[in-house]
Amino acid sequence: MSRCFDALRTLFLVAMPCALVLFWGQAKLALQTAGEYALPLPSDVIPPAIPDDNPLTTAKVALGQKLYFDARLSADNTVSCATCHDPAKGFADGKPLAVGIGGKTGARNSPTVLNAAFNDLQFWDGRAATLEEQAKGPMVNPVEMGMASHDALVGKLQDISEYPPLFKQAFDSDRITIDNVARAIASYEPTVFSFSSPFDRFNAGDKTAMSESAQRGWELFNGKARCNNCHGYVASSPTFTDNKFHNIGVAMHAGNFAELARKAAQSPESTSDLAHSPGYSELGRFLVTKEPKDIGAFKTPGLRDVALTAPYMHDGSQRTLEEVIDFYDKGGEDNPYLDGGIRPLKLSAQEKADLVELLKALTSDDLKRFSKPNSQP
Amino acid sequence: MIKDPFGRRERKAERERKAFYDSLLNADRRTFLKLSGQAAALAVAGSAIAPHSFQLVELLKAAENETEPQVSFRFAYISDTHMFDKGMTHRFVKAALKAVQDVNALDPQPDFILFGGDLAQLGQPGELNLGKEILSELKAPVRMMVGEHDWFFDMGEKWQELFGKPTYSFDHQGAHFITLQSVHEKDFWTARKMTPMERMQTVAGLDNAVQSRFEVGEEQRKWLADDLAKVSKDTPIVVFSHSPLYKYYRNWNFWTDDAEQVQELLFPFKKVTVIHGHTHQLLTNHIRNIAFHGMLSTAWPWPYAPTGLPTITIQMDRADPFDQFDGCGDGAVEVRKDGEVNKNYNFWSRNPFKVSYEMVASGTPAKPGPSY
Amino acid sequence: MRQTLARRILIALSVVIAVAVTLGLARLTAHASSPSTAVSTKASQSKWRVVTACDQRKTVLVEGYPDNQPLPPTKARQVASLLTDLMQYCNEEVNARIASDEHIFLSVNGSAFVQYVPGRALPLLLVNGGKQFTQRDQAIWKAELTRMVDEGNKLFHSSKLGTNGISCDMCHPNAANTHPETYPKFQTQLKKVALLRDMINWCIENPLEGKTLADDDPQMKALEAYILSQRAGKTIEPGKH
Repeated sequence: MSRCFDALRTLFLVAMPCALVLFWGQAKLALQTAGEYALPLPSDVIPPAIPDDNPLTTAKVALGQKLYFDARLSADNTVSCATCHDPAKGFADGKPLAVGIGGKTGARNSPTVLNAAFNDLQFWDGRAATLEEQAKGPMVNPVEMGMASHDALVGKLQDISEYPPLFKQAFDSDRITIDNVARAIASYEPTVFSFSSPFDRFNAGDKTAMSESAQRGWELFNGKARCNNCHGYVASSPTFTDNKFHNIGVAMHAGNFAELARKAAQSPESTSDLAHSPGYSELGRFLVTKEPKDIGAFKTPGLRDVALTAPYMHDGSQRTLEEVIDFYDKGGEDNPYLDGGIRPLKLSAQEKADLVELLKALTSDDLKRFSKPNSQP
Repeated sequence: MIKDPFGRRERKAERERKAFYDSLLNADRRTFLKLSGQAAALAVAGSAIAPHSFQLVELLKAAENETEPQVSFRFAYISDTHMFDKGMTHRFVKAALKAVQDVNALDPQPDFILFGGDLAQLGQPGELNLGKEILSELKAPVRMMVGEHDWFFDMGEKWQELFGKPTYSFDHQGAHFITLQSVHEKDFWTARKMTPMERMQTVAGLDNAVQSRFEVGEEQRKWLADDLAKVSKDTPIVVFSHSPLYKYYRNWNFWTDDAEQVQELLFPFKKVTVIHGHTHQLLTNHIRNIAFHGMLSTAWPWPYAPTGLPTITIQMDRADPFDQFDGCGDGAVEVRKDGEVNKNYNFWSRNPFKVSYEMVASGTPAKPGPSY
Repeated sequence: MRQTLARRILIALSVVIAVAVTLGLARLTAHASSPSTAVSTKASQSKWRVVTACDQRKTVLVEGYPDNQPLPPTKARQVASLLTDLMQYCNEEVNARIASDEHIFLSVNGSAFVQYVPGRALPLLLVNGGKQFTQRDQAIWKAELTRMVDEGNKLFHSSKLGTNGISCDMCHPNAANTHPETYPKFQTQLKKVALLRDMINWCIENPLEGKTLADDDPQMKALEAYILSQRAGKTIEPGKH
């Protein structure tokens, strides 16, 4: 009898933790990749596309985080990824246009890194298909981090004693390559996600989580204000972007779209160079696809933490959320390529205020976890 | 980094443009029309080359060194505007203005512009007057064609007062052009004691089975025969017709009842093209030596009919109803030195599309589209 | 005036007779332990000629003819025609009576007798305690449905749902491209899985610039009824894009 009891007790002691782990795993963890690092995403969310040749591991994430905050990746040691994509500023920089080494100004507003892993394409014009590809760009951009070449950057890192062992740990080789640098940074970035805000709690059933004004704003968002067509919320992809490109007229001040487009189409300059040139930059997606329908079209950004990432639009031309709402309310800026979905909304002052409240309710509760690591120089 | 090619001049243009659009919000109709005509000019902002998407396609193609039979001349088209007289901010009016801007921005300007019919939605005098005002902003000469929405409120009285006879022909650059009134209907309204508005609304409903099928009619066919008798068989013929002049889908009046008889009059000529409106979609057909091309509407796109779609039509995929311009647009026709025709579809919200004569003549069935 | 009165009296009398006959017949069946047995007994008493179909499950009783003699040709043809009609009941047991006034009544599987007029639809037997639905019932169903579909048709073609003169049939002649048979599905314009009525409301609010209808608004139901009736016969494929 007691032996039976013992056996049962042992079985129970073994089974319970297993069950707990299984249950916990199902509810909280979604195994994203073949790698051993699992992103703790909400269960509904479709995980970001992690390339087969760069599965997430703890070592890569840590190395990526270190590189992300390291200003030595720039020519004069003053600019790191975190300079323009600062955790303290919603992973953007609070400026209309990016400012790189030597105070040089770029052509476009710094997008946030928050939830960037869930974008199908990177950059305002979608010219990079992966985070890895994106990471390589700013390093050699003369107005951003200003390194002479990727080789120069690799040489610099190789000479910093901390790095080769970390690369050995992450990539099984202490011979640093630019691809591995990019892979490391692109392993840190998926961890920069935010899906826990007053809106999410409201959506999950807590009717007190958002103010009544914000709740009205949510109705407008999906109704009269027509926001949800491009910035729609879906539980499986809750970043508030359709991952598509639209011309809402922000780039209108570039004017001669067709002439610019023709010049760009025949230009020998690279897409990336054109994207950084003040006039051509306004052509947006057209620079990548060369398709007339993409003239002046830019990627729909996500809206999470939008209250933290002013100023807005690809050129930082709108300083506040109120300005943004006003812009949409008047029907954007008319131009021959304006998206046919944009039209005057005839919102009342209260309705506009409600929309702003809703946008503020998208600020995450848990951004503190992204502070700069203490070990950074 | 490339130097800013426009600099100070562009910032001035931006200020001008902002002021212009602000003034639009407060303009009355006459002022609005004048201002919107200037919009195209403002958009040019001092550049020698006008901005336009058709233009862009042509030049891009030139860059790709594509060889094409030489084009003799071009005409543009705007069709099926279906305007209500409900103010200048109505989406159909905005769309018509957009088309006018498109065509005015073409460089070089087309030889003339065809208006493809259905200027008004319910044939009201106010709607037709509005249409005439808007089209008068076009720089190149306009050739008018009537549609059923223009005709059946007052049986074409206001239309003829504004635009003259609906049936006529003219020669241009060696080609013979004929414009028909191909939306006559046998009387269905007298026996039912319909008011003019009831008659108009019956005709306005595409799926309304009460109305009769479109026809050119015996009198007009006689006129056509007489007109063609003076033309040599080698002369390229281009026929403008609102209804398609073939039988596509009876239920929606995508149909001309006496199509065969009209086609018989045209078959003896070597090069014949029909440009038609009414169908609001990319549509291509080929019957013996006659090529048929449908024009886009500026107002809304129609679905492809469940049966009867010509197999060589490359279907446009479904429009997104969120985008009021999707599936709509205007376009141009290139009349070639060999007398045949290429058809350019200037889609809004989509890439432009050209249907060349070679595509039509090859007779290759297009890939099937989505079946709705 | 007198003519109409006479007609009215005639109709009233016919009704009374019909009711009496029905009641009479009903009483007959109520007494019977098994229809055929009762009938056979009764038949010899009140002269009912019994004709049974080849499946042994369809019986016609003809009033006023002796059991042991052949029927006259017209009557025989009437009986044969009736039996053929009754075959539509397949394996059910059907008992039909042709009364001397030519009224025909039938009972399916022992249920109450209902009248049958040849050429009109056969009364239905439903799995509902053997209750039968009459031709009137069927007419009611059709009339009510047609009324709702017609109401929907009017709304679908009306510019009153919106504020800019646009009506549904402009983009959707004969409800083309509405494909209600593919709902529920993720509707990109709504950014969520939608039913037909959600999309109808979206269209009213967006292209038509009108006010949305409540989910239980009779107008919404009528619109759905019209759209579905135009797409009758299509395969239901939720999620198809």
